[in-house]
Amino acid sequence: MKKTIILFFISQLLIIGQQTPGNGQFESMLIENAIIHIGDGSIIKRGYVGFHDGKINYVGEIKPKNNYDKSINTNGAHLYPGLIALNSTLGLAEIDAVRATRDYDEIGPFLPHISSSIAYNAESKVVESMRMNGVLITQTTPRGGVISGKSSIMQLDAWNWEDALIFKNVGIHLNWPSPYTYKRVSSGKRTIEKNKNYNKKVKEIKDFFKSSKSYLPNPKPINLEYEAMRNLFNGNEIVFLHANSSKQIQDGIIFLSSLRINKIVLVGGIYSYKQIDLLSKNKIPVVLKHPHNLPSFIDEDPKLRFRNAKKLIDSGILVSIDVSGSMERMNSRNLPFYAGSFAAYGVEKENALSMITLNAAKIIGINKNYGSIKVGKSATFFISKGDALDMRSNIVDYAFIDGRKISLESHQTKLWKRYLQKVRNSKKELKVK
Amino acid sequence: MITLIEHWNTEKKWENYNSLSKKAKGAVEKPRKDIEMDVLLEILKGKRFITCHSYVQSEINMLMKVAENFGIRINTFTHILEGYKLAEKMSRHGVGGSTFSDWWAYKYEVIDAIPYNGPIMTEAGVTVAYNSDSSEVIRRLNQEAAKAVKYGGLSEEEAWKYVTLNPAKLLHIDDRVGSLKEGKDADLVLWSDNPLSIYASAEKTLIDGKIYYDSRKIPSIIKEMKIEKDKIIDQMKSATNGGQKLQPIESSSNKEFFCETVDK
Repeated sequence: MKKTIILFFISQLLIIGQQTPGNGQFESMLIENAIIHIGDGSIIKRGYVGFHDGKINYVGEIKPKNNYDKSINTNGAHLYPGLIALNSTLGLAEIDAVRATRDYDEIGPFLPHISSSIAYNAESKVVESMRMNGVLITQTTPRGGVISGKSSIMQLDAWNWEDALIFKNVGIHLNWPSPYTYKRVSSGKRTIEKNKNYNKKVKEIKDFFKSSKSYLPNPKPINLEYEAMRNLFNGNEIVFLHANSSKQIQDGIIFLSSLRINKIVLVGGIYSYKQIDLLSKNKIPVVLKHPHNLPSFIDEDPKLRFRNAKKLIDSGILVSIDVSGSMERMNSRNLPFYAGSFAAYGVEKENALSMITLNAAKIIGINKNYGSIKVGKSATFFISKGDALDMRSNIVDYAFIDGRKISLESHQTKLWKRYLQKVRNSKKELKVK
Repeated sequence: MITLIEHWNTEKKWENYNSLSKKAKGAVEKPRKDIEMDVLLEILKGKRFITCHSYVQSEINMLMKVAENFGIRINTFTHILEGYKLAEKMSRHGVGGSTFSDWWAYKYEVIDAIPYNGPIMTEAGVTVAYNSDSSEVIRRLNQEAAKAVKYGGLSEEEAWKYVTLNPAKLLHIDDRVGSLKEGKDADLVLWSDNPLSIYASAEKTLIDGKIYYDSRKIPSIIKEMKIEKDKIIDQMKSATNGGQKLQPIESSSNKEFFCETVDK
């Protein structure tokens, strides 16, 4: 009897264990009567999505003829592709102020051979808190140095980093130096000066890239840094150019293009609207800094960060959202609201959604399988009671990754339920008294 | 605690001293005037309110006990990220909670901070407000209030009070601000949409009936500033070409203040 009780408790723990990844999809499933946001800018006002073996096998307005093992009638809820958080350090740190929990910055300036994927903590309490808002995929990105390392694409429901991987080593992250230096003076004001070391820093980058390019096949001994650069020159990996000012963007792109690197993605790009011609000509997508930031300068449009997306999208540039910044990991669950904010300032709602679904998938090269609700793609999506880009109606009832129904519980929802019950019980006790 | 008790004695000393005749006053030592003690006295007499920066339940619980020992009440716990763990005790004590909506995990004290904190405290009968000490978040406090609808299922009406009437109550200025009522100050915002919606933006902001922000005027202000900036740059260019030395550029961004900022 005792054993049975213990076993019962263990099985209960497994069910409520918030991080326990979902089982593989054994039964086919049909989602009925949902407002289907495809992710490519289009919408099905009432329709059906069927999926089996982790893949979507039906999308349409009329009920499919073939039978599904199970079905969920959403009664008009909204269905969205899993949201993709780009340039994120999710899983690479837990508590900002506790140094021992931070693992996103390796020592050294040029580290193309560092892969952040192996530092990704699948058990992170911060990661699990993303899923209840619809964020299901992340680009786990190292920070620091000139070349921080390589990022990888992970799905947010896994036992370990290896199982989480969707795409290992999607590209390197190059932090272009700033042409200006900012100093705080005693009055609390800032002074802006030309960065005297700018040319020197740029030359170091150029030298490193040129040495990498001239690095011969089958060398002895192997140079790990240069070896890790090969895939940039043969077009298999992306250079994520982190740059915000107009000059940084211009100098960075002109240099990389001169080396015939054709897969360039601009990350940050706060002032990229000043370089629209250059970006368009070279077909460079922008992972645009999220809008919840103050203006950088006192004479700047207070809403510049909000209006930025429309400027780029209207020029035909492929745009997604960069979640990095202050408290970036825990705040990444606000990704749908970053998109919503861009929508509030001119971007059409479905296009704002595309920024964090199909556009993001295209930029990191996973659009064959992810990023939109389409037959043949992975069944990675979520269902929200209302408009998911608005905080008052983003209420996620179901989420699926590769067809697996995933838990939406977290450390936070567990505490919520326990303590809410505590308050309710004490109210009952008061009534009894 | 010792200083508080000492203070009662100090007050008695002053009472005694003031009751003396002018001649008698000259014969005794004048009690010490202590402005720090005066403030504590105001608290003990209920004339001044305590707002306490707080995080974890242990410290919150402790301070309520200290206050209760002196027969006083803490007015507001700010930040109060673990308020939900002591919500009934807070309600009994009569303290309000002014918390963040969804920030957590930035330091160890906030590992158990949850976005359901506000709604749980509300359930227990605590007066709840949402605040932020971030100069960025504070300008979107309407959206932060909306998070109480998402996390914890508060009604929109109740959530809106988190950033209007409830903080006014906690500041004891609800007779003047916090709701639209005849006789109250004309501090108003005209929104383009339901302000709890992400799609809403402030069109006009009025303080004491005067328009301080008008979204329609922003484009022309920006245009004017650009013209002025270009003019200054041109002047600087011609000055440099004329061989004059320039002074370094100084931006006029102001210093940001946080809860812990202590400044002269």
